[in-house]
Amino acid sequence: MSEGRVPHSAPESGSVTVRASVDDPDLRAVREALGDLRREIRTRFRREPERVSPPAAPAWERLLSEVRHRLATLGMRERSGAVDEFGMEEAALQSWRPVLDFLYDRYWRVDVGGASHLPERGPCLLVANRSGILPYDALMVAHAVERESASGERPRFTVADWLVSLPFVQPRLARLGGVRACRENVDRLLAAGRSVCVFPEGAKGAAKTYRDRYRLQRFGRGGVIRAALECGVPLVPVGVVGAEETNPILWKATRPGRALGVRFVPVTPTFPLLGPLGVVPLPSQWVLRFGAPLELDALPADAARDELLLSRLTEQLRGRIHSLVQSGLRARDTVWSLRADREGGPPPG
Amino acid sequence: MSSVSAGNGPGVVALVGLRTFLGQGLCQRLLAHHRAVRVVGIDDRRPFRMDERVRFHRVDLTSPTADSELTRVLEKERVEVVVHVAFRTDPTPDLELDHEVDTIGSLHVMNACAAAKIRRLVVASTTMLYGPRPDNPNFLSESHPLRGHPDAHSVRDRIEVERLLADWWQRYPDVDVTVLRSCWAIGPTFSNQVVRYLSLPVVPLPMGYDPLLQLVHEEDLLNAFERALIASLPGIFNVVAGDPLPLSMLFRLAGKRTLPLPSPLLHRLAYYPAQGQSGDPPAAFYDYLRYLWVADGRRGWDAFGEPAYNTKEAWISFVSSRRMRRYR
Repeated sequence: MSEGRVPHSAPESGSVTVRASVDDPDLRAVREALGDLRREIRTRFRREPERVSPPAAPAWERLLSEVRHRLATLGMRERSGAVDEFGMEEAALQSWRPVLDFLYDRYWRVDVGGASHLPERGPCLLVANRSGILPYDALMVAHAVERESASGERPRFTVADWLVSLPFVQPRLARLGGVRACRENVDRLLAAGRSVCVFPEGAKGAAKTYRDRYRLQRFGRGGVIRAALECGVPLVPVGVVGAEETNPILWKATRPGRALGVRFVPVTPTFPLLGPLGVVPLPSQWVLRFGAPLELDALPADAARDELLLSRLTEQLRGRIHSLVQSGLRARDTVWSLRADREGGPPPG
Repeated sequence: MSSVSAGNGPGVVALVGLRTFLGQGLCQRLLAHHRAVRVVGIDDRRPFRMDERVRFHRVDLTSPTADSELTRVLEKERVEVVVHVAFRTDPTPDLELDHEVDTIGSLHVMNACAAAKIRRLVVASTTMLYGPRPDNPNFLSESHPLRGHPDAHSVRDRIEVERLLADWWQRYPDVDVTVLRSCWAIGPTFSNQVVRYLSLPVVPLPMGYDPLLQLVHEEDLLNAFERALIASLPGIFNVVAGDPLPLSMLFRLAGKRTLPLPSPLLHRLAYYPAQGQSGDPPAAFYDYLRYLWVADGRRGWDAFGEPAYNTKEAWISFVSSRRMRRYR
């Protein structure tokens, strides 16, 4: 609006139009301003007839509503920690860190070897053997990578479907960086520049009995290699030793399992015997071995569509992980202790 | 919104379901931002408040002759674009009526659009159709199969609508069909079953689950519809806000009291009142608070622009406008 254009010298009293001549410039300005105002009033009320709040609320009213809004949202922006789009929460990780540190350093005394194979920067796809019922192995691999790698970034890990539907466990795993094991999630994480630890054995690996310990199961359908090829990330094999002994499955009770709506009830030396206490994992000696990344650069461009090549590469990867597991097993003296003269680990002393 | 020029936009827009939140909001926006567009409102009853520039026609979508009535209206008004938002925002215990309005009503709209040779059809849908499943990926893309909850009859009806619409589009490929799947909308004015549930003084929850949840602000939802209506953007789009938050964090932000119950018990508690036609919300609803059903919004953001509110901001806007916040 043009209040500024209305001169103060205009006649204050009486009818303006009668006294002044038509081409008085001051008056024309006033008339134009009035016309503007009228037009504006008309268009305002015409254009938005159902707008509830008037467009030009008094300043104090605006201030009041602003204050009210501020009061209503006081502290709300700060109250929630940063949860990323996959549900990992930094604050939750910090509060769980002492527990994870205890498990890593004291309880399972994780012995890490070959950490120099981890890429210095950029995402990578870690592929490990799956063992144990609850994904302690995933948590420990993530912890080892965070501590030992040059970038110090914590990788996410994939969680099998049956764990995703488990109440109480699932939300916690998600806060600590677990996502459901599927191509969409892995692709999205790798594209976002985050490393992912996957377990291609899946539920088959977790449900092994103690007799079959450290015997690698079939590796899915080649999805791991395809994901690494399509996302262009290095593929680092990881051998995990020790998780098999945390809750060794002696026998799979299928019939009571069917009654409870699960595939089987695991019978461990402690589990049904000691009740809830039996879920506590045993303090076995853990060994983690990282291997050299698989060479995928020399492959042809359309390798991701060559099924035979994919299955050959998958077998090659399985072989690498198998030898890492074997070297991890050789590094242990008993299930509970390391050998003094082990290879691949950090030098003693 | 003024960036979308009204010059190359549609001449006549018909809003089927004028009395719904989307119908009302779109009507206001069209009248305010696109003065060249003529708005035709269609519903079974006259809205409580209506601008005199809207040309209203009364058509009951549940009547057997709705398709021919609708065709007559569309032809008489020379409608070019049809926006179909005449869906029930809340599932009711009356399964037959829900089915009649949602599925058969949509069928009538599609048939009328085909007969009246419409240029563009915009249909509202929801991401609830993907269904809460433990085996969902964290972000559901538009091409993900619709595996809605088997007990949620309203979701089942809407899935059928999408299936019918896909068939219809194959038969009439020169019509631009836009399907907007929105997640739970929230804001100062929008209200439905979800909003009522979220504003309960004590919120019952399934115990032991804490999925990521995404919300969309009502303004962003209306913006997306407005864009889809003015510009030609055929296809299916998720209309969601970014940065999903865990359910527990939403309630923590609002300082709300929650009542976690074991989910079998919660289902029973919700199931029997629903059988007695007073259940609000129904049992199937609680599965949407157990498992993931977060949709990937990137395709929609590319088409309609980034939303102004992310999930947290939408929630804050809702909580502060309702003065729900409790200080503890």
